[in-house]
Amino acid sequence: MARIQLKGIQKRWGAFWGVRDVEIDIADEEFLVLLGPSGCGKTTTMRMIAGLEDPSEGEIIVDGEVMNEVDARDRDVAMVFQGYALYPNMSIYENIRFPLRMRNVPKEQHDELVRRAASMVELTEYLDRKPGALSGGQRQRAALARAIVREPQVFLMDEPLSNLDAKLRQAMRVQIKHIQRELKITTVYVTHDQIEAMTLADRIVIMQGGAIQQIGTPDEIYTDPANTFVASFIGAPPMNLIDGEIKDGSFVSDGIKIPNVGMQSLGKIKLGIRPEDCAVVSSDASHHHMTGEVYGVEPTGDMTFLTLKVGDMNVEIKADRDYRSDLGVSEKVAFDTSRLYFFDAESGLRVR
Amino acid sequence: MASVRRTKSENLYIRYLILGSWALFCLMPVLWFLSIGFRPRTEIITAQPVYFPTFSMDAWHMIWSDWPMAKYLRNSVAAIFGSVVIDLVLAIPAAYSLSRYEYRGREDIGFYILSTRMMAPAIVAIPIFFLFRNMGLLDTIWALMLVYAAINLSIVTWIIRSYMTDIPKELEDAARTDGASDLRILWEIIIPAVLPGIITAAVIAMIFAINEFLFTLLIASTPDAYTMSVALANFTGGSDGLIYNAIALVAFLAFVPVFLVVVAIQKHLSRGLTMGAVKG
Repeated sequence: MARIQLKGIQKRWGAFWGVRDVEIDIADEEFLVLLGPSGCGKTTTMRMIAGLEDPSEGEIIVDGEVMNEVDARDRDVAMVFQGYALYPNMSIYENIRFPLRMRNVPKEQHDELVRRAASMVELTEYLDRKPGALSGGQRQRAALARAIVREPQVFLMDEPLSNLDAKLRQAMRVQIKHIQRELKITTVYVTHDQIEAMTLADRIVIMQGGAIQQIGTPDEIYTDPANTFVASFIGAPPMNLIDGEIKDGSFVSDGIKIPNVGMQSLGKIKLGIRPEDCAVVSSDASHHHMTGEVYGVEPTGDMTFLTLKVGDMNVEIKADRDYRSDLGVSEKVAFDTSRLYFFDAESGLRVR
Repeated sequence: MASVRRTKSENLYIRYLILGSWALFCLMPVLWFLSIGFRPRTEIITAQPVYFPTFSMDAWHMIWSDWPMAKYLRNSVAAIFGSVVIDLVLAIPAAYSLSRYEYRGREDIGFYILSTRMMAPAIVAIPIFFLFRNMGLLDTIWALMLVYAAINLSIVTWIIRSYMTDIPKELEDAARTDGASDLRILWEIIIPAVLPGIITAAVIAMIFAINEFLFTLLIASTPDAYTMSVALANFTGGSDGLIYNAIALVAFLAFVPVFLVVVAIQKHLSRGLTMGAVKG
């Protein structure tokens, strides 16, 4: 049971700002994902919640209690690290038991708790081994078991899956989400992988340059991005951002014209359109918004990524699985005009 | 290409040949000690080389009967062991602090510690003599322990520090969030992880200590505090002249304890305990 409030958090190292003006209210039992490119301050923010870093300013409040002065070992948080951080000289059993010993959990309960945590992550048969004798995925599960064994108030996970291969990552993702829902423990999860963020999170916090760009549910982040950074960070391939201008109610750019965008003349502006909201239409179709030359075709099996050269830009389109074409062919594209986004050309902020 | 092909086993023989020659070369002094030590004195100083010396236990009996060799050996072992214990007790926390905590002048302190080895030992010889005389510790193995510990402390600290610096910070962060105090982290996480480094440092300190001569000669004035290295010097003077075969045996005896220790802990002398701690 823990509600975590971050109020006016700043972190500076000399003249360098690691984190600035971070305000997050994390509800009890929530799964919150901090998402951003490396160096965006997400890990620092998490480490401040853990007590491994002190904020330069601001308050960290857990269930109404200011935690700033509480030492990391006295905060009831458990952390899973990117590099697993298993104790190399101890067996997996001893690794999982370590937090119980440190927190003076009665000895007679240790065995049961360790075995229960190990069975939750399906590691029971490896308890006697040393970390060095386990595979990456098993080590990751051991680290997870060490975190869940004492049922802390808060889970903190710092890119726990980034050292695993794609297949294992997907399996572990499901397992982490399942365990979090089962134990109902407030969780803060740091990642730079937008798929992890979208699939795991109740809410996503997108950070860049130490500052929060947007907080919202995965749906909100995806369908209602606050600025070009969020728009281009989420989605694979990311949202197309096209420079142009709005004149007499129409968006115009090199090779693109969209009438009736619902805005009057605004001058320079960026249009955002997701690859899946673009459709290739037949060459004799009268209704289209964009014309471009085929630059690349990448079939993936369930769909085909098409890259069109439009003016001096490349525009990504998700086409049908059986779409094929040759380089240089001229294609016409229609947009789903209900899913157009406009951003200020200077600030990158959303224009509504 | 029509070059000569070597089979794998031929390659292996060549490797053994090269390594074997090198090992023989390195072991030569030891074998030479033994050869000289166990031959009669008359066969040592001859103009013509003696290819098949007579075996003789004369020198062996002499060193045990005419000198308190067992006592020297005991003094050596006690002084060295004591000094290494003192070094480790002081160096481990110092190295931990130097490798982990951030504070002003940390690098300077590290350098200062190392700089104690940069000065010629003779410079401090006289002050040390007076220091121990005033403390009433002259001619005791306690003084030897302290001196050896002082000489080696800097190198021991630096070796352990470099191993500690290599330990991923994540391990400590993990232990801290698991609820461990700084001392617990040092004792349960750091020390086991740097054990190879601690052992390496201890062995190096031992080797330095067993070879220490200058300060030992200064502090020890009777067999009460003589060590093997000083005992060796006793065979070079006096009415009997140079007793080469006895010197060889004593030198060999001084070498044996270190050799045995190194063999016993050989597997720890290499790194690798942290393998599997982080990533893989």
